[in-house]
Amino acid sequence: MVFSSLTFLYFFLPAVLIVYIFLPNKINVPLGKEKALTIPARNLLILLTGFFFYAWGEPFYVVIMLISTLIDYTAGRMMYKYDNDQKIRTICLIISVCMNIGLLAVFKYSDFIFDTINTLFHSDITNPVILVNRKINDIYNFGLSEDRVRLPIGISFYTFQSMSYTIDLYLRKINVQKSFIGFTSYVTLFPQIVAGPIVRYEDVASEINDRKVNISKISEGIAKFSKGLAKKVLLANNIGIIWTEVKAMDYSTMSASTAWLGILAFTFQIYFDFSGYSDMAVGLGKMLGFNFPKNFDHPYMSKSISEFWRRWHITLGTWFREYVYIPLGGNRKGTAKTLRNLLIVWGLTGLWHGANWNFIIWGLYYGILIIIERVGFGKILEKLPSAVSMLYTFLMTVFGWVLFDTDTIGKAWQFFKAMFGAGGSFADSMAKYIFSSNILIYVICIFASTTLFGNLMSFWKKKKKRVYAYAVPAAVVCIMLLCTSYLVDSSYNPFLYFRF
Amino acid sequence: MKIRKRKRINIPDLITCIVFFGMLIFMSVMTIVLPKQDFLEMENNYAEKFPRLSAKAVFNMTYMNKMENYISDHFAGRIGWIKGRTVLETSLGKRERNGIYILSGRLVEKIPEPDYASADKAIAAINKFAEKIDIPVFTMIVPTSAEIYADELPENAPNADQKEFISYVYQNLGRSVNTIDVYQTMMSNRDDYIYYRTDHHWTTKGAYLAYAAAGKKMGYAPVPLDLFDIEHAGRGFIGTFYSKTLYDGIEKDTIDFYHLTDGDRVTEVAVTANFGEEPTIRKSMYFREYLSVKDKYASFLGTNMPVVDIRSENGGNKLLIIKDSYAHCYAPFLTQHYSDITLVDMRYINIPLGQVVDIEDYDQVLILYNASSFMTDTDIRKLGY
Repeated sequence: MVFSSLTFLYFFLPAVLIVYIFLPNKINVPLGKEKALTIPARNLLILLTGFFFYAWGEPFYVVIMLISTLIDYTAGRMMYKYDNDQKIRTICLIISVCMNIGLLAVFKYSDFIFDTINTLFHSDITNPVILVNRKINDIYNFGLSEDRVRLPIGISFYTFQSMSYTIDLYLRKINVQKSFIGFTSYVTLFPQIVAGPIVRYEDVASEINDRKVNISKISEGIAKFSKGLAKKVLLANNIGIIWTEVKAMDYSTMSASTAWLGILAFTFQIYFDFSGYSDMAVGLGKMLGFNFPKNFDHPYMSKSISEFWRRWHITLGTWFREYVYIPLGGNRKGTAKTLRNLLIVWGLTGLWHGANWNFIIWGLYYGILIIIERVGFGKILEKLPSAVSMLYTFLMTVFGWVLFDTDTIGKAWQFFKAMFGAGGSFADSMAKYIFSSNILIYVICIFASTTLFGNLMSFWKKKKKRVYAYAVPAAVVCIMLLCTSYLVDSSYNPFLYFRF
Repeated sequence: MKIRKRKRINIPDLITCIVFFGMLIFMSVMTIVLPKQDFLEMENNYAEKFPRLSAKAVFNMTYMNKMENYISDHFAGRIGWIKGRTVLETSLGKRERNGIYILSGRLVEKIPEPDYASADKAIAAINKFAEKIDIPVFTMIVPTSAEIYADELPENAPNADQKEFISYVYQNLGRSVNTIDVYQTMMSNRDDYIYYRTDHHWTTKGAYLAYAAAGKKMGYAPVPLDLFDIEHAGRGFIGTFYSKTLYDGIEKDTIDFYHLTDGDRVTEVAVTANFGEEPTIRKSMYFREYLSVKDKYASFLGTNMPVVDIRSENGGNKLLIIKDSYAHCYAPFLTQHYSDITLVDMRYINIPLGQVVDIEDYDQVLILYNASSFMTDTDIRKLGY
């Protein structure tokens, strides 16, 4: 299920939340004289609804999530039980990490690996996963894909989250979660299960066990959720249509302006779509009593690439820093190792976004840009006027999106050429039409991706506290009305993270 | 002593919660309790039925997809929500919606650049067909309103050049095919009511003009316009373009029937809906029951059917028409010159044409399509088999 659907908004969400709000955290069921059974009622509800939410989009692969959760939970309990035996603790960690990486390898990367092998050696090896699928289909007729391995939704998010638990437990940064319901509700927490943010166990450890829900938190959550919904449905979907059209055109005859308008549309689409999803997740988390970490902070205002990645998909960057970059030695082991570590982290970051060469190249592209900044260009950027360094960063990001979304390196190259005039003209009638019929949405998107909007709001909030407070419910109603009318007739409402 | 501190509830926060949940619950309850319609008449589409739960439907996800469609199709106030969006967007200056351009006085289709490679296949099939049979074959590709009123489109709006497309097709049709060009006819009568404002079809007037223009090539003397009594049979017609936009700012259309002053002498219209079944016999070319539903254009020979036979007492030749729905209001004029007219819709034919009708029994064949459907149609290739 996706948040931006009528099914979620009008049926799943109110049903779950109303039960949730009136349920206590724990229910004590008296058993005999002195005993009592404590049921973690809210966590149980989160677990059950999370499974339903996930299974709605992944009725078969929900099993994989369950297995992964079970193994990580058991690994955690074992580490706790054999607290003094470092050997067993290490084995537990290795099992957990290998299992999670293994799931990714099988379901996300196996096709890519076999395709690469087959191209390199001109061989014709069938992916064993496909063979297994065929066998299962023969027996049970589940209709599993017999051609390509289908990626389970959100697998890259929940495997990373589960790993954060076992790794941190191994490093003794957190306490064990003894309750199976508690741990499973962390993994299946529906706000963040399909598209992040990547909530580390550490972030919500105390809230899993005890949390408060009150009117002011819920209303804060509603405001955040509505903001995210508006970003996704009103901005991302509307500007995304432009890119969908441009992307499908013939790049060899495309005018430079069309190419630029197209890739700018994607630049805004992916930002508002992704940050909108994150806002919705954070807002839903608030309604349930959780505080999720921030995932986006006006990334297109960054003055360097390093800064961009501190503001874009923050939880992913944090994850790779904590669990890959720093364990590899970070920047403390000399220049050569630092360079190596940066390239590894950025290659992996690229690969995380999809099993394809263009994603790896996209990741390494950022790795190289960051290395260039580290060796001195960063100092120059700091001295340049903000407008110049911001423009530099923005342009580099836009070029990055070409690599990211044109599917193959060949096509990306074609598209780059079109951006620089290889299509023959600067602006043709197509570009003029795209511009004149969509100018409003571009202007709104530019405005909304700066800090200007937020600054205006906080200025207003300070000046007219009362009016501002009442403007919130009014804005929520307007957003809900607008988004509903766009969702009822939603010919274009894509889910962009199916490759992640 | 424990002091219980009770936080005062913030009123705006409470209002936020009430309006948000109030709206969600109100709309979901209304969606559940309001009566359901099987047919979304305004949108000319069947509504999704409530899905049946089964393990198979869950595992292959058809259950979830159907449920989401069901909720969307039956969402309370669906038409109002969609219209609201159209009103908002048009008032913000948007002139395009769901592949339809909103012009000042009409809606027209946004037609993408034609695929000439695909057109080549259709052309080859027609050529092959015409060479194979011994009777004269005529082809008429009618431009649609998007071409005739192209000058009213928003500036620089992408719009396929139908004139170029039609002349490409005509130039590549072989010598065994006679082409009938009605482009100029339509263009020079563009101030007349020749296309519906809210639908993708031409009006009866538009069809009459083409019928009159085709007479010379096909060998009949067209009946002059003043011999017809025009009946404004269906008022308040809103067509397929309306369904896609639900834009209310365009004047509704009128369906006209052209009756000959001294009667049309049609004896029967036989409609074959499925092969092997007996055709339904009717006494008139005008299916008046459709005048009271939304899709009023279907009052011309009904909705698209595989085979329709029109027999009249007017002596003359027999004509086979391979067609799309543009032929439905065109064929009635031809009944004055042919004793027997058979309309065949290739989209619904999956056996060789020779098994559907006895081709050699006819005196002429007319292939009649509008340019938009000819660009995308792939069924006409079956003619070449």
